[in-house]
Amino acid sequence: MGLALLSRLPGFTMANQSSKEITKEMQRDFSRESKQRNLTHAGSNQPCVIKEIRTEEEGIKEFLFTLGCFEGETVTVISTLADNYIIHVKDARYSIDADLAKSILI
Amino acid sequence: MRIALAGNPNSGKTTLFNALTGKIEQVGNWAGVTVEKKEGNVKGELHTGKDKLRVVDLPGAYSISPFTSEESITSSFIKDEKPDVIINIVDATNLSRSLFFTTQLLELGIPLVIALNKTDLLSKKGITIQKETLEKRLGCQVVETVSVSGQGMAPLVQAAIDASGKMQPPAEDSLVGADDKKRFVFVNELVKEAELRQVESVKQTRQDAVDRIVAHKFWGIPIFALVIYAVFSISQSYLGPFLADIFVGGIDQLYGLVEGAMGDQVSPLLSSLLLDGIIGGVGAVVGFLPLIMILFFLLALLEDCGYMARIAVVMDRFFKKVGLSGKSIIPMIIGTGCAIPGVMATRTIRDDRQRRTTAMLTPFMPCGAKLPVIALFAGVFFNNAAWIGTSMYFVGILIIIVGALIVKRITGEGAVRSYFIMELPEYRVPSISRAFVSMMSRAKAFIIKAATIILVCNAAVHIMQTFNWSFQVVEEGMENTSILASIASPFAFLLIPLGFGVWQLAAAAITGFIAKENVVGTLAVVYGISNFIDTEELALVSGAENVAAVMGLSSVAAVAYLMFNLFTPPCFAAIGAMNAEMESRKWLWAGVGFQFSMGYTVAFFVYQIGTLITTGSFGTGFVPGLLAVAVIICILVVLMHRGGMKSSVPAKEMI
Repeated sequence: MGLALLSRLPGFTMANQSSKEITKEMQRDFSRESKQRNLTHAGSNQPCVIKEIRTEEEGIKEFLFTLGCFEGETVTVISTLADNYIIHVKDARYSIDADLAKSILI
Repeated sequence: MRIALAGNPNSGKTTLFNALTGKIEQVGNWAGVTVEKKEGNVKGELHTGKDKLRVVDLPGAYSISPFTSEESITSSFIKDEKPDVIINIVDATNLSRSLFFTTQLLELGIPLVIALNKTDLLSKKGITIQKETLEKRLGCQVVETVSVSGQGMAPLVQAAIDASGKMQPPAEDSLVGADDKKRFVFVNELVKEAELRQVESVKQTRQDAVDRIVAHKFWGIPIFALVIYAVFSISQSYLGPFLADIFVGGIDQLYGLVEGAMGDQVSPLLSSLLLDGIIGGVGAVVGFLPLIMILFFLLALLEDCGYMARIAVVMDRFFKKVGLSGKSIIPMIIGTGCAIPGVMATRTIRDDRQRRTTAMLTPFMPCGAKLPVIALFAGVFFNNAAWIGTSMYFVGILIIIVGALIVKRITGEGAVRSYFIMELPEYRVPSISRAFVSMMSRAKAFIIKAATIILVCNAAVHIMQTFNWSFQVVEEGMENTSILASIASPFAFLLIPLGFGVWQLAAAAITGFIAKENVVGTLAVVYGISNFIDTEELALVSGAENVAAVMGLSSVAAVAYLMFNLFTPPCFAAIGAMNAEMESRKWLWAGVGFQFSMGYTVAFFVYQIGTLITTGSFGTGFVPGLLAVAVIICILVVLMHRGGMKSSVPAKEMI
């Protein structure tokens, strides 16, 4: 009952609208990304050369760099587990999520 | 002379620190165990010089430029405090990454010695490393070490002493101030020259096969549940109670001994304070020590084997949906030992909102201090069933997930992407001796706490229970006039809808905020120790029906009371840790308020719905309780709604 009352408030519909806008924006974002091959397209056990790390978040690129994960270096997907990608970079294994895997272009 | 230990996460710095100093700092087989710098002196037998050698253990870092706040501790210490020597711990199985940090450290001009650690794994992995090549190209001494067994410690200390006071040249002049990519080029060449691998590290191994099972999409969670169930059933149903019963016999003998020694000379008030208040209250808590020690031992084995990082992978998917990441599971697992280091471990989380939310929710995990409470209730009402502990563990996780979802809605930052990356350490056979050492150090802390805070609290509770406000001894049958009863009664009134609205239980819950062990201690004091310990059979918990009858609780109300104690705010010390990590008063108060609301709501539903199922009608105080819970939920809904508006603002600007 409380929820039904709330949905009549003007702000509620506004929030709904804008969340649709957000998903649209994200879809557009995604289609732009998917034109290029990223790590989610790589098969297991196939070494790939990184072309670019494309991400909006400051810092993560620098962090990946310190692990030796940057353009020109080789990365291999070992397996896909529970929506995470187990990758091999410079003799170490890391678990990364799909979002991060998408920003590693190969 | 001051020596700093620096190196990549999980290269074994703290293990090496413990080997050098003889201290017992918390170690674990994953990246990010150490989040604070720790200091100690090198053991006398490792060096002959007269000078005191001070070692500083620093959190792991991949580079000199900090990424998370614990990494910045490392870089600012090395840059600002200028230690006399740096021991750079390099994981011998991963030169190609580790030496990047080494090249940066070499340029600081501080004498550097490399501890080539984990050399025991080299032959197993078919790796050979030419130490001399590394020494020549890097321009510093390299000492082979195995920190888990303490091998190579004396030569390492000697090398550090030799290096101090000397000028440290950079690995290569051309690298100074150069692009970091050039460093990797240099490292790649060096590794090619110095390292020979028979098996490429990229090859699939048995470890990868194990990962595919324990971090499986569907099997990961059931396996995790099974592991936790095993931990609780060993510590609570089998080995734990067996040891506890023997232990309790000793406490009982002490009680008798002190009673006999005092005889009739001591005033009955004083002897009652000593016997029922202090020995009884503290004894009831300490009686659970064997259970807790076994739990700590098993958790230490789990932390050592490398399984924890896989749990983070399994949980990431669920945590991401509620605005957290798999990184948040690590503080929660540490929080199973104690919430304070758990909350401190949130430092490894970069995002402010995620970090604060995790710090707010970590105390919902059943920590070691809550274990006596769980064990007492499992023993009294459920015949020591291991599923009570296991389900409290998973209810804790569930509450954390629901809590995170609510916080995400309130802060309205759902659309922000967060990346999850975590190094997967190699599995290894956990060391029994290391787990033993870890268990003993935690047991020591537990005993110290019992002998200080808990002793004082129990004495205070006993005194407040014995006297009324005019400082006269409360007469039998007039217990409700005691100071304790009159303070706790108003709170007890609020707890009626939860099924445990008596002042004794309210008082125990209140003292629980000082330390959760107090819940058990206070219950033992207010209800009398003899109800807890069966003096004839020397069993920890005497006839379940007796205790249940004395407390006047149904099984459902007991579960509600247990949950209320587990899922309300933690002890004050943990709240202090939350304050430090959240760095925001607003978040702190909101967090504590949220924890109260959560505990109250959960206990209310458990009691009322449980009572409805078992007896066919709602328990006492259903309507006022429902009103209170409705107010809580309404406030949360309004806050979440406002959060939704907030998140819509940037979206509109985007269009």
